[in-house]
Amino acid sequence: MSDQTVTTRVTGARRARVLAIAKHEYRAAVRSRILLILVVLLILVTAASVYIASAGYAAKLAEYETYRAAAQAQGLDRIAPTPLAALSLLRGPLEYLEIIGAVIAISLGYLSVSRERINRTLPLIRTRPVTAGEQATGTFLGAMGVFATLVATTIAVGIVSIGLLGRDWVNPGELFQIALTAVAALLYLGAFYCLGAIATAKSRFAANGLVIALGIWLLVVLVLPQIGDTMDADNQLPGGLFQALALDHDGELAVLQHFTGYERIRTGIEEASLSKHFERFAFAMSDVKDRYRPYNLPWLLNETRNDIAWLLAYAVAMFVGLRRSFRTQPTIPPGGTP
Amino acid sequence: MAAPAIQLHALSHRYDTDPVLRDIDLTIEHGEIFGFLGHNGAGKTTAINILTTLIAPTSGSAQVCGHDVVRQRGEVTACIGYLPAEVRMYGHLTAAENLAFFATLSGVPHPRRAAAETLAYLECADLANLRVSTFSSGMRQRIGIAQAIVHRPQVLFLDEPTTGLDPFGVRQLRETILQLNADLGMTVFMNTHLLGEVSKVCTTIGVLNHGELIYKDSIEETTRRFPDEASLEDIYVRMGSDSA
Repeated sequence: MSDQTVTTRVTGARRARVLAIAKHEYRAAVRSRILLILVVLLILVTAASVYIASAGYAAKLAEYETYRAAAQAQGLDRIAPTPLAALSLLRGPLEYLEIIGAVIAISLGYLSVSRERINRTLPLIRTRPVTAGEQATGTFLGAMGVFATLVATTIAVGIVSIGLLGRDWVNPGELFQIALTAVAALLYLGAFYCLGAIATAKSRFAANGLVIALGIWLLVVLVLPQIGDTMDADNQLPGGLFQALALDHDGELAVLQHFTGYERIRTGIEEASLSKHFERFAFAMSDVKDRYRPYNLPWLLNETRNDIAWLLAYAVAMFVGLRRSFRTQPTIPPGGTP
Repeated sequence: MAAPAIQLHALSHRYDTDPVLRDIDLTIEHGEIFGFLGHNGAGKTTAINILTTLIAPTSGSAQVCGHDVVRQRGEVTACIGYLPAEVRMYGHLTAAENLAFFATLSGVPHPRRAAAETLAYLECADLANLRVSTFSSGMRQRIGIAQAIVHRPQVLFLDEPTTGLDPFGVRQLRETILQLNADLGMTVFMNTHLLGEVSKVCTTIGVLNHGELIYKDSIEETTRRFPDEASLEDIYVRMGSDSA
C-alpha cells in the first residue's frame, strides 16, 4: 500500500469521525427541550416584530403607490423614488438574533460540554481513536448546523412576512445581501457557542461556566454597545444630530475629524463588542440605516470591511480557544474516577 | 513473536504528592481473563485509566497490544474497549443509536449493522429502539458492554462491571465475559471486588495493595499455593494481612 493510500484512508477516517460527532451534536441539540423553547421564542418574537413592522410598511407603500399614480396621471416627468426599504423590516429579527441568538449559542455551548459530563460519556469518547481536536471540530460543526437552521428559519419567516404582509417581495440582489448577513450571523453565533463551551470546559462545575459566559454576554451584547451608543454624537438628538444639521455621510466624517481622540475612545469601546460589529454589518446589508441605502454592495462591503475582519478574527480566535480547551479539559477529574 | 496484550514496566502514578501506583511490573498475554483485585483506593481504577489512555502515568511505561499508551494513543484506542464503573450513555438516544455512534468513532465500516449484531450477540436486541434514559441500571450495564465491544476490540477493560447488578445480572455478565473470550479471543482486564466471580471467570489474578502489586498468578496456581484456604476470599484476606 502506498503512503498516499494510507494518508487518504487516515484523512477519510478522521472526516468520518468529525462528521459523526457533528451529526451527534446536531441531533442532541434538536432533541433538547431548553433549546427548543429558546428557538420557538426567537421565531415568535421575529414573526411578531416583522408582522407589526410590515403592517405599517404596507400602509406607507400604498400611500407611495397612490402618489406615484397621481403623479403619472398628471404627466409629471420626475417622480420621487420610494423612500421605503423592504429589507429594513428585518431590523427586529436581526436584533433578536444578536441578543437572543447569542444566548441560544451560549446555552448550546454549555450543553455540549455539560452533556458529556452528566452522561459520563467523555471517557467513552476519549478511549476511541478520536483526538480532542476532532471532537472540538465536530461539536462546532454540529452547532453551526443548528445555527444555520435557526438563521435560515428566522430570515425566511422575516422575508415571507414582508412579502405577505408588507406586500413587497425582496429582489435577488437583496436576497444576496441577506445571505451575506446570514453568513455573518453564523460567525457571530459560532463565536458565542465557543464562549459557552470554553467557559464550561474550563469550570470545575458546569453551571459556573454558564454563569461566566452569560456575564460576558451581558458585557459584550448589552453594556459595551450601550456605552458606545450613548457616547455617539449622532445619538444626541432624536432623529440624528447630523440629519438635523443636514449633513451627509462625508459631512459627518468631516465634523468628526475635529473629535478624533473622543471618537477613538468611543470606537475602541464599540469595537471590543462583537455584537456591534455584527450589527453594523447586518444593518448596512439590510438597509436599516438610511445613510447606507443609496450605495451599492461593493461600497457597502468596503465600508464595513473593518467589521467583517473583526467578526472573522473573533470567530477564528474563539474556535482556536475551543480546540485548546477541549485538549486541556480533564477527562478524569483530579483524584480519580470520572 | 506477538507482543503481550498488556505490559507494564515500573509503572507509577501519583495525584499531587499522593502515590497511587508504585513501580508495577505486569504482563498479561493474549486470551487471558485477568482479575485485578484490591481494596477501595488501592489504585485499580487509576491503572485502567492509564491503560485506556485517559491519563498519563507519572513514570514508567505501559503498552497495550504492543503500543505505548502515551506515545501511540491512536493505536492503543483502536484495539481496546472500555466499560467504566458507572455507565450512563446518551439518554436522549436509543440503544442502537448510542452503539452506532461509538462504532463510527471506532471506524467500524457499517455502524448500524455492527450495533444490531452486537445487541443480538448479547441477546438484548429488544432494547435496540428504546431510549437509554428509560433503562434500569442492569439494562444500561448491558448496553455499556455492547458499546465496549461493538468494534470487536482485542483487549476489553472492565472497571467494577458488576456495580448495580442483581445476582441474575452478575451471572449474565459472567457468561458474557466467558463467551467473548471464547468466541472472539478477547483479552479481558477486569477490576472487581467480587471474589466469587473472579474465581469463576478469571484465568489469572493480580492483587494490588496500596499501589503495589503484591501478587500475580493463575487461579489454578493460586489455589494450589494456598491449599488451606477455603475460598479466594480467604486467600485475599490472608494476602492483605501478610502485606500489612
